[in-house]
Amino acid sequence: MKYLRKFSSILTVLVISLMFSSTVVRADMPSQTTTPNTPIEHFLVLMQENHTFDNYFGTYPGAEGFPEGTCIPVDPFDASNTECVEPFHIGDRPIEDLDHSDSTFNLQYNKGKMNGFVYALNQRNQNGALAMGYYDDRDLPYYWNLADEYVLFDHFFSSDHGGSFANHMFWVSGQQGGSRVSSEGYPDILTIFDRLEERGISWKFYVQNYDPGINYRTADQISGNRASQVIWVPVLNIARFLDDPELSSHIVDLTEYYKDLENGTLPAVAYIAPSGASEHPPGSIRSGQKFVRSLIQALMRSDSWESSAFLVTYDDWGGWYDHIVPPQVDEHGYGMRVPAFMVSAYARRGHIDNTVLDFTSVMKFIEENWNIEPLAERDANANSFMSAFDFTQPPREAVLIPFERVVVEQKIEPRRIVIYLAYGGALILAAMMFAWTAKGADIRKQSLAYINRLTHPRDREPAP
Amino acid sequence: MSIKDSSFVRDRIISGISLTRRTIVDWRNWDRAAVARIAGIIVVAAVAVGLRLWGLNQLGYNTDEAVYAGQGAAIARAPILKDIFPVFRAHPLLFQFLLALTFAFGVSDLAGRLVAVVIGLAAVYMTYRVGKLLYGVKAGLLAGLFFALMPYHVVVSRQVLLDGPLVFCTTLVLFFLARYAMTNRSAWLYLTGVAMGLTFLAKETGIILLGAIYAFLALSREIPVRIKDLAISMALMALMIAPFPISLLLAGGTRSGQNYLVWQLFRRPNHTWDFYPSTVPTAIGLLVILVAILGLWYLRHEKSWRERLLLAWIIVPTVFFQIWPTKGFQYLLPIAPAIAVLAGRAISRWSPKDLFIRGKQIPIIWIKTAIVAVTAISLFVSSVQLITPSTTGTFIAGTGGVPGGREAGEWVKENIPEGSTLMTIGPSMANILQFYGHRRAYGLSVSPNPLRRNPSYPPILNPDMQIRSGDIQYVVWDSYSAERSSFFSDGVLRYAKRYHGRVIHTQSVTVELADGTEIEKPVIVIYEVRP
Repeated sequence: MKYLRKFSSILTVLVISLMFSSTVVRADMPSQTTTPNTPIEHFLVLMQENHTFDNYFGTYPGAEGFPEGTCIPVDPFDASNTECVEPFHIGDRPIEDLDHSDSTFNLQYNKGKMNGFVYALNQRNQNGALAMGYYDDRDLPYYWNLADEYVLFDHFFSSDHGGSFANHMFWVSGQQGGSRVSSEGYPDILTIFDRLEERGISWKFYVQNYDPGINYRTADQISGNRASQVIWVPVLNIARFLDDPELSSHIVDLTEYYKDLENGTLPAVAYIAPSGASEHPPGSIRSGQKFVRSLIQALMRSDSWESSAFLVTYDDWGGWYDHIVPPQVDEHGYGMRVPAFMVSAYARRGHIDNTVLDFTSVMKFIEENWNIEPLAERDANANSFMSAFDFTQPPREAVLIPFERVVVEQKIEPRRIVIYLAYGGALILAAMMFAWTAKGADIRKQSLAYINRLTHPRDREPAP
Repeated sequence: MSIKDSSFVRDRIISGISLTRRTIVDWRNWDRAAVARIAGIIVVAAVAVGLRLWGLNQLGYNTDEAVYAGQGAAIARAPILKDIFPVFRAHPLLFQFLLALTFAFGVSDLAGRLVAVVIGLAAVYMTYRVGKLLYGVKAGLLAGLFFALMPYHVVVSRQVLLDGPLVFCTTLVLFFLARYAMTNRSAWLYLTGVAMGLTFLAKETGIILLGAIYAFLALSREIPVRIKDLAISMALMALMIAPFPISLLLAGGTRSGQNYLVWQLFRRPNHTWDFYPSTVPTAIGLLVILVAILGLWYLRHEKSWRERLLLAWIIVPTVFFQIWPTKGFQYLLPIAPAIAVLAGRAISRWSPKDLFIRGKQIPIIWIKTAIVAVTAISLFVSSVQLITPSTTGTFIAGTGGVPGGREAGEWVKENIPEGSTLMTIGPSMANILQFYGHRRAYGLSVSPNPLRRNPSYPPILNPDMQIRSGDIQYVVWDSYSAERSSFFSDGVLRYAKRYHGRVIHTQSVTVELADGTEIEKPVIVIYEVRP
């Protein structure tokens, strides 16, 4: 009994202490509400793969694309070699997965001279000239149509010099974490999802063709490209997201995205990782566009459209040329510019946003929108997407953007004036003819003639 | 009025003409015949207007109406519709041009139908004028009355169809030709050519009546036709037809016209041989036809060019369209005014001695009145039945609007994002949804084989691929199309099931069961599909 009383006293003190500490923590936080600060109640971000801004939008009118006279030397370190490669339209030419390692970045970046793109790939026994290839609206009709209608970011940089893994880590945590998948995992990395979970803000990580059996513990046993799931879904490198049923339940197959839209259960924050349609060279960029279209169309057709923003971006530069020197905010980055565009009912129409952004800007926006503390220095200092929105206007109606490029000048419109003149003229002519004939006809005389014929029907018979 | 009472007739007409001015001054001096004529005109006008306006917009457009109104909207550059409906399709654009003038003030299904009604009323007036011209006022009024009440014309003239303007133009031709036959004045023959040109511009099938004109003139030697006048008349007809090829050539629609012509020439029959015998007589009115035939028999002694003209007007198109593989409910409408005039003639000119029943004399006027009343009431009842919306959930193509079609289309417009694409069972529902919904729709039943489909309708070459790649986002099932093609109905439902179809809207109509109870029957179901 004595022990029981002592135990209950200790328990009481512990409970009171816990309650007090909890109150203190809450008081420190900016706000405890899950209500967003903007009309954006659902923020969705899709990370595609391996293209630069110039590679996709280098010729997009009004954006900061290829400077005039661009020609990248074949060997920037040999002043006597004047040979250079100009940007060219790739079209149907076959492409390959260009090297995009740290060392290739350094050669291409060339201390900020941005002239080693061809050379670096040649050094890797690849066709260096291919780095200068670009796509345009003939190849990317859907993306260009989206850019015409919504917001295109032309100063969006990858967060890290390197490839997919590091950039995906920056995307969720604001720090590099590591440069490759480790069999030890990254248990200490704190992610934006931890913050959201703490605050009770709904989130999901939608993974196309998700296989829960593939994670950092099993990746080295998986052959082929399927193991890349661990790269595209960085939380699969963190033990608690695998072992805690509550946390792991947020990582779901992409089919749930469609169900959530249908059921009105779209989470506040959704990260989306592709599988086969990531546009990673030499993959089909047309398939990638169709995949993106299916996601955006589903959102537009749902009740969540008016309270959502959907960002599409690319995890790294993939070895392609880009002419803008990436700002160096720390030893890891920024990396090269990557394509990024946002679709939302509140997005400015046909707006090209020049704000300097990177993958940590995604976290920055989430933090600003839901009053969440930054996780790292990068996201604390990053710019947000706020300038892409116009919250003073009512939400725009959803418009399913056509998949094919329709250039107004090229569309042959029938010359309607010909129809008006021809048919109107015919009616006027007929009316004039009738008026002329009726005026010439003596009604009274004709009436009498009619009576005569009526009374003498045989008069008109020809003479035998 | 007997044809022998020439002095009486002459006096009546002359007094009628001369009295017209006096009537305005002093109504007590009105001639009884003039009063009767005015009263008759008012009655005919009232029933014509009433039957054509009553519940005019209760139902939305059917597929053909949606197409013609869509073309009108495209000519008028109506937003969205101008991108969905092509300006050039199958037929000349006279009616669509008139619709475009109306739609310049805003696209409205009611406005389109009102244009059709006005033209329909003009056709009733022309029927009266033809009857009056050929057989006098009474015959004209009776012809106008029968035509005003005739279900065939009532139904068609309430719809945005080319056949309404066509029948107005053909009646105009009939009138001018009769005037020419009566006066021998060249100007009327020229006007006949002009009106024939307009007939073609209203609907190209009207050109068949050239055969009727030829047959009439060839069989009427008493009506001299100078080659020069005929040539001028033909030239004027060609001049009036010119807007069709000119607009095709200069406004960029040559290909559409050629494709459609080829398809029409080689398409398979769409109805069996008994389509017209089983549908048209009841639509015209069996009593009207009977009266017209009896009139031809009993008044055969009056045989003249007038009857020849009317019979040519009836026989030539009937024979042609009976032989022609493509059949449509409205195609024989141009013969209806001629039948109405013959019926009017029969009653007005039939003058037997008064009948005696059990020794009691029954004035012939009573019998005539009874015939007119029975015929008119039977026509009226048939017309009312036809223009009353169907309560069975089924409908016959060409007889009116599609219950629930407009409402489903308007729901689509309000609730489905702009730029969406729908797949329907057939092109009929696709047209309706396109017009009211302002969204593109394609019929699954449209054949990918260009020889087997109307070139106006693009086929869905690979429905699976188009749904998987997000080109088609909605699938629509409707009971009307399903009734006609269970194969494609099953196909649409199969796609809905295969691609996670979710019902997002069901359009129901109230239908009456055999026991008289009313239920809500789903007639159109819209599914959202996704890869």
